[in-house]
Parts: sequence; C-alpha cells; structure tokens
Amino acid sequence: MVNKVLGLTAADQASLLRIAILGLISLVAIGSRLYSVIRFESVIHEFDPWFNYRTTRYLVDHGFDKFWNWFDETAWYPLGRVVGGTLYPGIMVTSATIYNALHLINIPVDIRNVCVFLAPAFSALTAIATYHLGKEVKNATAGLLAAAFIGVAPGYISRSVAGSYDNEGIAIFLLVFTFFLWLRSVRLGSALYGALTAISYFYMVSAWGGYVFIINLIPLHVFALLVMGRFSNRLYVAYSTFYVIGTLASMQIPFVGFQPTFTSEHMAALGTFGLIQLVAFASFARTLVPENHFRTLLRGAVVSLFVVGLSGLVLLTMSGVIAPWTGRFYSLWDTGYAKIHIPIIASVSEHQPTAWPNFFFDLNMLIWLLPAGIYFSFSELSDNHVFLILYSIFAAYFASVMVRLILTLTPIVCVLAGVAMAHVFETYLNLRDVPAAAQLKAKATPDVVAATDAVKSLVDAVSDDTAIEDTDSASGHKKDGKRGKGAKKNAAKAVEPTTDTSVDGAGTSSTQPSVPTSKELSPALKRFYALFPKFVVMTCFMFLLCMFQWHCSWITSTAYSSPSVVLSSRGPDGSHLIIDDFREAYYWLRKNTKPEAKVLSWWDYGYQLAGMADRTTLVDNNTWNNTHIATVGKIMASDEDTAYELARHHDVDYVLIVFGAMLGYSGDDINKFLWMVRIAQGVYPDDVKEEEFYNSQGQYAISDDASPAMKNSLMHKLSYYRFADVMGGQGFDRVRKQKLPTSVTLDNFEEAYTTENWMVRIYKVKDLDNLGRSHHAASKF
Amino acid sequence: MRLVGVLSVVLPWIYVVSASKPGLVNTNVIRTVDLQGLPFVREQVGVVVQNEHDSKVYKTYTISVPMDKAPKLSQLSVHERKSGEELDVSKETVSGDTQLYRATLRRGLQPGEKLSLNIDYLFVSLVEPRPKAVGQSEDQSWLWEDQSLVASVYPTRKQKTVVKTRGDVLRFTPADAVKDGRHSVVFGPYTSDKSSRVEVGFKDNREQMEALTHGREYFVSHWANDLNVLEHYALRNRGPELSGGFDKVDQMVSKYMKRRDNLVKTLLVKVPADAREMYFVDEIGNVSTSAVSGRRKGEEPFKVLQMRPRYPMPGNWNYTWWHGYSVPLDRYLKISSAAAQPKHLLRLPFIGTLAGCASQEGELTVAMANAQNTAVRAYELRVTLPEGARDIDVKLPFAGQALLQPTKYYFDSVGRTVVVITHENIAPEMSSRHILVSYSYAPLTLWMKPAVVAAALFMLFMLASTASRMQYGLTPSSVSKPAGATTKSKATKKQAAAGKTE
Repeated sequence: MVNKVLGLTAADQASLLRIAILGLISLVAIGSRLYSVIRFESVIHEFDPWFNYRTTRYLVDHGFDKFWNWFDETAWYPLGRVVGGTLYPGIMVTSATIYNALHLINIPVDIRNVCVFLAPAFSALTAIATYHLGKEVKNATAGLLAAAFIGVAPGYISRSVAGSYDNEGIAIFLLVFTFFLWLRSVRLGSALYGALTAISYFYMVSAWGGYVFIINLIPLHVFALLVMGRFSNRLYVAYSTFYVIGTLASMQIPFVGFQPTFTSEHMAALGTFGLIQLVAFASFARTLVPENHFRTLLRGAVVSLFVVGLSGLVLLTMSGVIAPWTGRFYSLWDTGYAKIHIPIIASVSEHQPTAWPNFFFDLNMLIWLLPAGIYFSFSELSDNHVFLILYSIFAAYFASVMVRLILTLTPIVCVLAGVAMAHVFETYLNLRDVPAAAQLKAKATPDVVAATDAVKSLVDAVSDDTAIEDTDSASGHKKDGKRGKGAKKNAAKAVEPTTDTSVDGAGTSSTQPSVPTSKELSPALKRFYALFPKFVVMTCFMFLLCMFQWHCSWITSTAYSSPSVVLSSRGPDGSHLIIDDFREAYYWLRKNTKPEAKVLSWWDYGYQLAGMADRTTLVDNNTWNNTHIATVGKIMASDEDTAYELARHHDVDYVLIVFGAMLGYSGDDINKFLWMVRIAQGVYPDDVKEEEFYNSQGQYAISDDASPAMKNSLMHKLSYYRFADVMGGQGFDRVRKQKLPTSVTLDNFEEAYTTENWMVRIYKVKDLDNLGRSHHAASKF
Repeated sequence: MRLVGVLSVVLPWIYVVSASKPGLVNTNVIRTVDLQGLPFVREQVGVVVQNEHDSKVYKTYTISVPMDKAPKLSQLSVHERKSGEELDVSKETVSGDTQLYRATLRRGLQPGEKLSLNIDYLFVSLVEPRPKAVGQSEDQSWLWEDQSLVASVYPTRKQKTVVKTRGDVLRFTPADAVKDGRHSVVFGPYTSDKSSRVEVGFKDNREQMEALTHGREYFVSHWANDLNVLEHYALRNRGPELSGGFDKVDQMVSKYMKRRDNLVKTLLVKVPADAREMYFVDEIGNVSTSAVSGRRKGEEPFKVLQMRPRYPMPGNWNYTWWHGYSVPLDRYLKISSAAAQPKHLLRLPFIGTLAGCASQEGELTVAMANAQNTAVRAYELRVTLPEGARDIDVKLPFAGQALLQPTKYYFDSVGRTVVVITHENIAPEMSSRHILVSYSYAPLTLWMKPAVVAAALFMLFMLASTASRMQYGLTPSSVSKPAGATTKSKATKKQAAAGKTE
C-alpha cells in the first residue's frame, strides 16, 4: 500500500487498471462486431431490422406524436397496421434520442449510421453492466472476466453485430443491467435501487418482448428465497418497490397495456407480490409466536397458498378471465406443439430446438465453465447466488428449446464462467502463498523419490509428464479440494499434448541435481513445488482463453457477419464477389413502379420491401394475421387462373419471388414453398392440400416428373418461367439438383424484372384483356 | 432608371405598331434544326430584317418562343451576321402562348435599312421517341415535330426550314418536303403566313439520358487541403419504353453475343486525375459495381469513373444515386495576399459531365465518356465554405443569383456558409465554365474548431470530476472517498480472508 506509482496509491492503481481494462473490453466488444461493416458496408441486416430502421426513420422525420399514432396503410394491404400500438418502441426511441443529441451538438450523422452502430455500442454497455453484475455476486476479478467473456461471446454477437438493428441489441444490456440492479437492491434492501430496477425494467419492456423473462425470473427468485426461509425485510422492500413501480410503468407501453393484469405470463409476479405481503405479515407475527413452531407454520402456509394460488390461476384461465398462454409460449414447453398447431411459428428456423453443437459453437469453453460456476454458487449460497442458479437453470432450458434463446443464456453463462474463472485465478495466481509449499515438505518426499527413479530411467521428453503427475499427487495431499480438482483436470489435459515441453524440460533439468543429494528439500525445490502446478494450470487456462478468443473471432467473422441482404461468394480465382440481387430488385421497384403499387411476396420479404422498395405489401414479418398469410400462400400454391383472380381481387400489381436455381441459393421460395402450402392448408383445407405437391414417388420434385398441382402452381411457373431457355436442354436446378421442367407457360403474368443472377424475379399482374378474353385465349390468338 | 421608365412607356406602343401596320419585316428566314446531338436540339434561325416603317427607328428586335418549347429552352443568343457581334437579350413577359425575348440592336435600324441576324436556340429534350415502346433490342426511332413557320411577332415574307438528323430519315410530313440525302429534310420555301404541322421521323440509336434533377456539392476543407465533390442524379433514360416487358433471356443472349440493345448499362463520369476516395451509393446503400480507368492525358488529365447502376436501364426507367470523390484543394484555391486580409479565391467547374452508355463492350472508350448525351433539367450547385469564411463574393458564368445559406457541420460552433446556385436546362457548353467564389479567411480561424472541441471536452472532464467529488447522501459517511474506499477495503479484506482459509 505504501508503494506509489505515478503518485497513485495501490487502490487508485487498481481502479485505474479496472477502468482501463473495461475500456479495452468495450473496444474489443465494439471492434469484433464491425466485420460486416468492413467486409460489406454500413447497411441494415436481415429482415426485422429493416422494420425497426424504417420506423426509426419515421420517428426522426415526423416526431414522436406522429410516430405514436402512426397507422401504416402500406403494410398488410388492405388491412393496414397500427404501428404505434403494435411495436416495442424502445430501440427506435433510443436511436432517435441519440440522433437528436448528436445533432444538438452539431454532429450531423445519418440516422442509418446511428442504427447500424447501435448494437455494438450497447454491447460495450452490456460488458460494463456484466462487470457490475459479476462484481455484485463475487468480486471485481469475476466481473472483469465476465465482461471480457460477454464482450466476445458469439451467442451474443450473433444478435448484435453492426447493422443487426434489432430489439435484442439493446435488450440484452437492459436484461443484465436490470438483474444487476435487482441483485444490488436485494443485497442492500434499498428502495432506491428497487426503483432503479423498475425503471430499467420499464426500459426493457419498451424494448423487447423478452421482458417476460424478467418478470417471471425475479418473482421466482423471491419465491425460492421465501421457500428457503430466507425472507428478509431487504427482500420485501426490494420486491415490493420493483413490482409496483415496474408494473405500473410497463403498462404505459401501448403494446403491453393491461396485459400485466390478466395474462398468464404475468400472474406469477402478481402471485408472488401477494405472497410476500403475507410473509411479511407472518414475519411480523413471528415476534409473537415461538420460533420453531413458527417455521413449520410458515412453510406450510407458503406451500398451501402457492397451491391455492396456482389452482385459482388455472381455474381463472380455463374460465377465460385470464388470457391463456400464447402459442409461442406453449412451444417453449412442448417443442412439437408449433409444428402441429401453428405452422407459421414452426416455419421460422430460429424457433427450432437447439442442436447440441450449437452450445459449443456459441459459447465454447464457457459452456463447461457454467457447471463449475453453479458449483461455486452453491458453495457460498447467498441470496444473489440463488438467483444465479435459478437464472442459469431456466435459461439453459429455454435455450435448448429454441435456438434464439441462447441469447438469454449467454449473460448468465458469462457471469458464472467469470466466477469460476476468478476462483481459478485467485487460487493459482496467488504466488505469495508460500505456507502451502511448506506443508508439502513432509508428505511429498516418497513421491519425489519415485519420481527421481522415473527421471533416471526415462528420457527427458517423457520426464516432464511424470513431473506433472507428481505435482498432481502432491497437490492432492492438500486439503483444498478445489485446487486438487482443478489441477487434476488440467494435468490430464496437459499430459496429452505435451505442447510446452521446452519450458517444463528446463524446469526439471534445473531440479535434477538437487533431488538425490539430500532428503530435506532445498528452498529452491520447495519454491518449485509450490509454483510449478500453478504455472502449469495457468498455462493451460491461458491457452484455453486464447483459444476461446480465437474461436469467438473466427465464428463472428465467418458465421455472424453476413448482412444476408448482400451475399458474397468467391470467384474461381479466389476474388471476392458481391451478390447484390435483393437490393437490385428492391431498388428497381422503388424507382420504376408507381408509388402506390402493391407487391405480393412471401412474408419473409415484407419488411425489406417496405424498407428498401418503399412499396405496399400484403404480408410482412410481423406475422399477426395468419389468414392473410395463408391467402398469399394460397395464391402461390394455386393454378394460374385462380391465382390471377385472387391477385386482382387483392389489387396486386407485382408479384416478387426469390429463386436460387441459378446460383444455388438454397433459401429460395421453392424450398419454402411447402411451408406456404401447409400454412395455406391450415386456413383453406379444401383448396390446398399438401400431399398433392408430392409426385407419384412421394418426392418433392420440380422437373417434368413433378405432380400436376406442383407444375400448375403459380410459384413453380414464376420460378421456372423461361429459365430453361438460358440454361439449355441439359439445364440443372442447382439447389434441388434436378432437371429443369421443359415447358413452362405463363399468360396472366408478365415478366417485369429479373435480377442479374436470377435471384429475384418480379412479375406484373396483367391488366384485364381489352376484348374481355382470357389471357390464355389472347396469347393463343 | 429613367431609361426603364421611358422604355415601359415606349414598348407597348411598339407592339401595337408592329402588330397593326408594317414596321419591321422579316424578308427572308432560314431555319436549320440540328438533331445530330440529341438530346440537345440546336436551332439556328438566320433572319434578314427590314425596317419598312416610314419614319420610325427600331432599336430592338423581338423574338418569340412558343410556350410548348419555352420550358425546354436552354440558351438563346443573337448575333449580327456581318460583324459577328453578340447582342444583349432580355427575357420579356409571356404574351398569349408565346414567351417573348428582346434583343437590343447595336444601333437603331433606320427606315428602309436591312439587317441580318443569326438567332441560336438550344433546346433540351425536345424530341420524343415514336413509337413510344419498342422491343429490347430493336432500333429506336424519334419524331421531331414543329410548325412549318418560325414563330415571330413580325410578318415574314419568305422562309424555309432544314432539318438534319444523325440517323436515317424514316418519314416526314407533309409529303411535299424534299429529302436531301439520307440525313436531311428541307421544308419550304413558304411564302404564305399559314402555318401547318411538320414532322420528321428518324432513326437514332445513340443513348439519350435526362437528369430530372442534378446536384453538385463542393465541400471546402482547409484543414485537410481537400475539396470534396458530391454529385447527385435522378436520371431517366429518354429512349422508348419496353414493349412486352423486360426480357431477361434476351438480355443475357445479347450480352453473350455482344449484340446491341437499348439498355443503358454504364454511366461514365470524367473526374480529375488526382481524384481519390471515390464512392458510388444510392438510396439503399453502396453499389459495388464501379470501376475507374487509368489516367488519361488531355488538356487537364482525367480518369473515367465507370458506374454500373443496379439494373440496366431501358427507356423510361429511372435511377437515382450519389457519387463523389476528393481532390486536393490547392489546385482550385488561390490566396492573394495583396490586401491586408488575405483573400481566398476559389475557382470551380460549374458542372460536370455524365454519359450514359449502352455498349456491351467490357472496355469502354474515352469517346463514350465524352458523348454529351445527358440533358440536365434542374441543377443545383452548392459550395460549402469553411467555418469562419467572411466577405463572400460569387461570380457566375451567366446571369443569375447566388444564395447564401447558413449551415452547421461536424463540431461547428458558429456555423458556415453555403453558396447555392440553381439553373435549369443546362447546355453542354456549361461544363467548361467556372464559378469564382472569393472570401476572406483569417489564419487563426483554422484553430477555432480544435479549440472549441478541446474546451468542450475540458468542460466535460471538469463536470465529471466535480460530480465525483460531490457528496450525495444526507449524512456524510466517510471523509474523502465514501463509496470507493469502503468497497475496496471490503474486497481486500475478503481476499485476505480467502487466503487464510486456504
């Protein structure tokens, strides 16, 4: 403490270091999310972000009042969409605030750049929030490690690269920050922090539908603490403040409205709120009743109340007073539910159950540090640790049910991995801890003798392996279970590769002369035995940490940094080719069609059409009206004449389809076609039947052996119209590896535009024939 | 002032006179319509004027342009044929369906005297494609139509019209006109004053583009010695529309066979040879298909920026985009230190050029970039001067006004001035003209921005520093560092405890 560097005390040095490290972590977090901007450009990615971007633009251009009351007649034609009341405005308001603040100090940035870089900027904030969470549950070391982990963990990066302008981008920060505030308010029993938690929760409600996770997890934490008999006034103050303010605030969001009072998702919070009042009363009553009687009384009361409350809830739900769980939530309990009942949810790839490799892919070493972290949490079980355990268990379950929920798992994995790692670091980097080495002295000797025999008989390269085993057994003698366990694990790892032979070899050679000469260990050898295992373990962990960073960068760069609006490929000479067909088609629509033209496409492209082409769409990614989507599916699946009639009925001017056969782009509409058929069948079972689209061999064919329904369907015709003319008679569909259909006729629709690589094809719905003939007759004539 | 007053009294009287009884008379008029540089149409009207009035001396000659052509008029100039001297022309009011212009003669035209005048008109986008729609690789044909008689406020004794085209003449009306070779048609001579419709249909496969709006912005930065040029275009292909929709197969085949079609695929812009940091973006992002040619020698060395729009453009398709680049400022900026305040003199090209190109060739030639085939209908030039520039003075290459607007850019404190100049129907000659902007700029002004930013940051740190030293609690908890010290000591204690248990 006396040593001063640059006039700073040790405490000041430490805090300066912490700030510097956090700053660097933030920089790394932002930097590793910029691959897509560097490789491609500053562009909004994917599908949903285009909606957020468009609404943000609207907010910036028209002001908050107009935005709040915005009825968008260009979406869901002819129904329209009440945008202000059907979105989570958090991300738009955040961007607009940043935009206006920057303009206020004369930094005239483009709103697009604000949107593109919002998620990386918030990832830096997430890292800082995670640091505080880690510090809250353990110490600054754990906090810094957790921050470093979450800064680069691919599970989080996947949703927050530059350009991925989606709710999750800011919601994960809010999730972590809310939990941090919650834990602090529970620890301090502070109404101030409880209120801050509620405000942070309100922001979260305004930003993401995932707020339901918070409003269920915090009551669960409270409930668990109550059941464990850990009720305290601190808990009471924290939860009561949080629930009352948080719920009232969340009801201010129009999209949420009165849901906290009548939907099942929010009932647990309400029930817990009631319960804690009872418990508080009971604990007051405790002062009047003998201690041991009271405990049994309390537990019994809690359990029975819970049972009564739950059954009341079920009854109310069944009688319809409380709205039942939505389909998306059912699919969290039963993964097969959506496939049977709601094809539209099942058709989204990110709603699929997670495959095992995904966990390793997205979290790497953190996923096996998670159990270690849970173990350490159990070993010092404070109120906060109960929360961590609950969070990790529930998030792990949800993450394994739905791919996208790995996102909510990532923060807790990072925190617990940070805790586990901090334990390792504190144990093995503590080089001043010499007494441990002194204890070794007596018991270690026989082993050392055995080791010297081995050293004599073996060549140098093998000797270091035995040395490691020695240290293992030596440390095993100590009472500290953790340390021995950790060392064993790492010894086992280190034995296999023997990568650091040279270093260890040097170590053993220096000890060799001293070992046989005396029974008493020399001080140098003592030091060696004390430090060597630490050195090995730390080397292994350093190696793992480096591998982790390397893995994260690699995953980020290869898997998560593609905008999906712009594709890229490698030319035969290795050159970087940009495939920009989507924007080509959208820009064509934007510039060369009437401003009020209606474009029909599958719902995947709705947001992009609205954002980039600026035209009216029939369906989009806000899949709120299943019937309307099914109608679009029916148009695609029916024959040309039915489709023409339906399209004219819906005022459609253009039909847009995505077609990958030229390039081998597998995410095209023909591959999605079965989902369109299934969704259409759900609403129009008489008109569309899935089995009709398989040929006689039961295959999903597109060439001449396809089923008649398939060959006559609008989707098939629009996709393959005149395609064989350029590919020749031997032409192949490069996605489905099938021959092309030889004759595709099209009379009611007219090619309007086809992009460079045929990826997007736009057709114009022909006007009615002047002479009142059908288009077939006219074209024959 | 007095002259104006006199004129305003005299002028209506001239009309009355000229309309009622012979005063000035066009004894012979020859009109040559040059359709070889479409979309620009050059009309030259050679006129012999005679004063047939008994006593009156005429000092002006009135020119009328019919209202259907007036909005497309780009330039109008009048020369005396003998001396070759240019006369002053002023725009007058609209009378009926004609727009009037008045040329002031060098000296009054005495009774009985004759004078030969050459009137040069330049119109843009006057000729329309007929038929309106053709196939993707069919020939484009165009129709020129006008009145057989030149519009004039004076009676005309005798006149004829010669129309010259670039491609073959396909048809013309009335049938009694004379086709002179493959590329020329002669109407007249007419002596009557009964006008009729005349038409020439002809083939012309060259590209014709029309910029509905075009903007150019110069951004002057003394710090970086950098002149940033940004150009915006809303472009339309003037060619005939596609009949029967877009045909992808045909497009691919003609690309493979190197056959011609009507799709404009490349846009060529000449940029200075030392241009750098070029970009090409449109409303939804970067367009990755662009290239720059090597340095070409010339009067001023240049490079050709080749931009491929996202989609090829047949007739009547639109494309909107921005492109830009940076050039060293010192090539355009002169500092005259003659006066006490050093005067900065900025000499900038008034407008750049753009050429649409339908060629299938991979290698594009400089000749293609030099093709003047883009008519600019509405043009706006903006010059953003550095913060602190004062006493701004603008000299234009034509009669017009420059507006000065204030604006604020990155980290500006007092803001800067933008010079805004608008112009319609740009003539191709304009691309060789320059505007001159002079302003004074004190050397110390250069340091204003860093000073302001530094001061702002200093304030921020001061604020943070003050905030961190504030005590927020109602009760003073500990003396110096309430929060930090306690948690830290707690942490160290914890660590010590952990060490002991081990």
